[in-house]
Amino acid sequence: MHRPRRPRARSALRAGIAALAATVATTALPATAMADSTDDYPIPHRMIVTTCTTEQILAAARDFTPIYYERYMIDKHNKSPQVQLAAIDSAHYFYSLNPADRRAYSEQMVTNFADPMTAAWPNWAKIFFNNKGVAAKETDHCADYPPNDQSVWDWSPAR
Amino acid sequence: MRLTKLSVLVVVGAAIVALAAPTHADPDTDFANQLHGQGIYGPLDYNAWLGKITCERLRNGLDTTADKSAHFALINLPRDTSTAQSYQFLAAAISTYCPDQVPILTAAAARHQ
Repeated sequence: MHRPRRPRARSALRAGIAALAATVATTALPATAMADSTDDYPIPHRMIVTTCTTEQILAAARDFTPIYYERYMIDKHNKSPQVQLAAIDSAHYFYSLNPADRRAYSEQMVTNFADPMTAAWPNWAKIFFNNKGVAAKETDHCADYPPNDQSVWDWSPAR
Repeated sequence: MRLTKLSVLVVVGAAIVALAAPTHADPDTDFANQLHGQGIYGPLDYNAWLGKITCERLRNGLDTTADKSAHFALINLPRDTSTAQSYQFLAAAISTYCPDQVPILTAAAARHQ
C-alpha cells in the first residue's frame, strides 16, 4: 500500500516544481521588459516630453478629463490668492524647462519635503502629474488649444 | 455628426416632458434614472458630475450651442455612446440641473429644422 504513494507524491512534487519554474520564468520576462517603467514616476513621461504649454494642458483637461479638472479647480479656489498664483508660477516654470531639467525637477520634487509650494498646497500639481491616464488624455489633445489662454485658470466650479 | 431634424425635435420634446416629471429628493438619482431610460449607463456620481459640468460650461459661455455641448458629453461618455444619446444626455442634464438653459435646446431644434 505504501509503494504507489511515494511515486505519486514525487511526481506531484515534480509537477509542482515545474509549474513554479514556469511561473517564475513567465513573470521574469515582462519584469525585464518593464525596466524603464520608472520613467513615469514621479512625473509621467508624457509630461516630461510634451511641448504643450501649461494652458494647453489645462484646456485639454477641461474638455477631456472634466471631473478631474473640476476637482482641481475646487481645490485651487479654496487656497489663498497668493498660493494660487504661486501654483500657476510653478506650473509655468516646470513647462518652461527642457525634458532633462524636468526629470531633474521631478527627482527634486519627491525628495524636497521643505518645498514651500508643496507645503502650502500639497496637490498643486495634481492635474499635471498625479495620474498617468489623465496625463495621457491631456497630452493627446493639448496641441489643439491656444498656448496662452489664461482663462483656463479662472474656471468657476459648479455649485 | 449632425442629428436629423426629427431626432433633435424628439430630444427637445423629451426634455420638456422631463421638466414636468415629478422629481425626487435626490436630483442625481433622477438624472441617473432618466439616463437609464435612454440606455446610458455608468457610475451615478460620474454622470452627475458630468451633467453638472455640462451645465456649468453652458453658463460660463464655453459651450455656446447645443451641438458643442453634446459633443463635450459624447467625448466623456463611454465609447459606444451614440450621437443621439449625447443629445439625450444633454437634454437630461439641462432638465435636471439647469432648466434655465432650455432655450439652447429649442434653438438647436430650430436650427435643425
